[in-house]
Amino acid sequence: MNRDEIVELAAGYALGALDAEDRARFEALLDADDVEARAALRDFEATVRDVAAETAEAPPPAVKAALMARIDTEHRARDAVTQLQSTVRATAPRRSPWTIVLVGAVAAGIAAIAVGLAVSTVYDRRIDQLGRQQAQLQQELTRQQELVTILQDPATRVVALAGLPAAPDARGRMLWHAKAGGLLVTHGLPPTPEGKAYELWAISGKAAPVPAGVFTVDARGVGSIRVAPVEGGAGPDTFAVTLEPAGGAPAPTGSMYLVGKL
Amino acid sequence: MQGGDVSPSDPPASLLARIAQGDRDAFSRFYDAFAGLALGLIRRILRDPAAAEEVLQEVFWQIWQEAPRYDPRRGSPEAWLVMRAKTRAIDRLRAMRRREKTFVASVDEAVASAPDLPTENPGVAAERRGLVRSALDGLPEAQRRVVELAFFEGLSQSEIARRLGEPLGTVKTRARLGLERLRSAMRREGERQA
Repeated sequence: MNRDEIVELAAGYALGALDAEDRARFEALLDADDVEARAALRDFEATVRDVAAETAEAPPPAVKAALMARIDTEHRARDAVTQLQSTVRATAPRRSPWTIVLVGAVAAGIAAIAVGLAVSTVYDRRIDQLGRQQAQLQQELTRQQELVTILQDPATRVVALAGLPAAPDARGRMLWHAKAGGLLVTHGLPPTPEGKAYELWAISGKAAPVPAGVFTVDARGVGSIRVAPVEGGAGPDTFAVTLEPAGGAPAPTGSMYLVGKL
Repeated sequence: MQGGDVSPSDPPASLLARIAQGDRDAFSRFYDAFAGLALGLIRRILRDPAAAEEVLQEVFWQIWQEAPRYDPRRGSPEAWLVMRAKTRAIDRLRAMRRREKTFVASVDEAVASAPDLPTENPGVAAERRGLVRSALDGLPEAQRRVVELAFFEGLSQSEIARRLGEPLGTVKTRARLGLERLRSAMRREGERQA
């Protein structure tokens, strides 16, 4: 294998992207203490670590607390078993078959309890998760049905919202129906900062903007919000999105991110 | 067994060796030193804070249990951790995506990125911060795609080749050139800041 090939394998290995066969080849080099392979890997690993370190963030204390508790539980169960085993050894000369059976049963019991605890935690979490998923799906379904109803109505109009200097690449689409209200979908908005939310405004002529709901965006900058019809008057002719405190504001205070006219 | 004399300056490899023997304190130190690194990466891949914390816990539990299998010849402890964090995060991401593939999600996307609007590369939209970002952005597009698909989406080189419709050899070369460039860009930037 020439040097170029080794360096290439090292790069793929550091990225965790080698296919099985290449990985086996490179690991064979590492296991054989190949100097070039190890130097190249060290180098690329440092770069990969720097990439990862760039976004390092302090984990919440609860994660460590949970881990340490898990370790302690495991330790206690193991210690108890070890102790029982040494008791058996200490009493070996006199031990009757019943002692062995008893000690074995107790050890098995402790192990079973430890496993049981772990399993029940896993199931609790799973049930919780399934409950959340179900609620999410229900919500999605309702949203989908509303969307289909709006889409089927010939009076529905599509408003394109364009990104403003705060987020020039952001885009939005509003499906608007004067009586049924609408649905806004956004794309490319920056992630919603902590304690903030995007707020949609319905504007009619020169009248003050009317709050039309708050929403947040997911990791891809995709957000969506169902908008209630605006009561009375001529109805809105313009929609705009600003960044506001999480609960929303009665009148816009933050930068405007998107705007579009009917 | 509960080793007492672990100092904060212990090299990661020796911490890992102690963890392999069930040393709780060594584990605690290792966690303190590297959990932030792992969480940052997991969150960058997953973007769901609650799921990221769960994955972080799984990753470190795995470290606790698999420390005896760490082989220093195959890379540094940090790299070992980073790979585990990445793999777990991507497994979770794939599971989440499978669940989220509902009709509405695709309608949302279709509406928002309709043909008359310029579509944005999700890789580019992903993160715009800091040194690494600017180093990544400074890469030629073709190299950046390969590095990002490998690192943030967990594709193997042959999967990347298929995805991009490029020969496998080209993908391998780009991964290498990309990482090399990234390394020198970050060194330059680091020196400039220092």
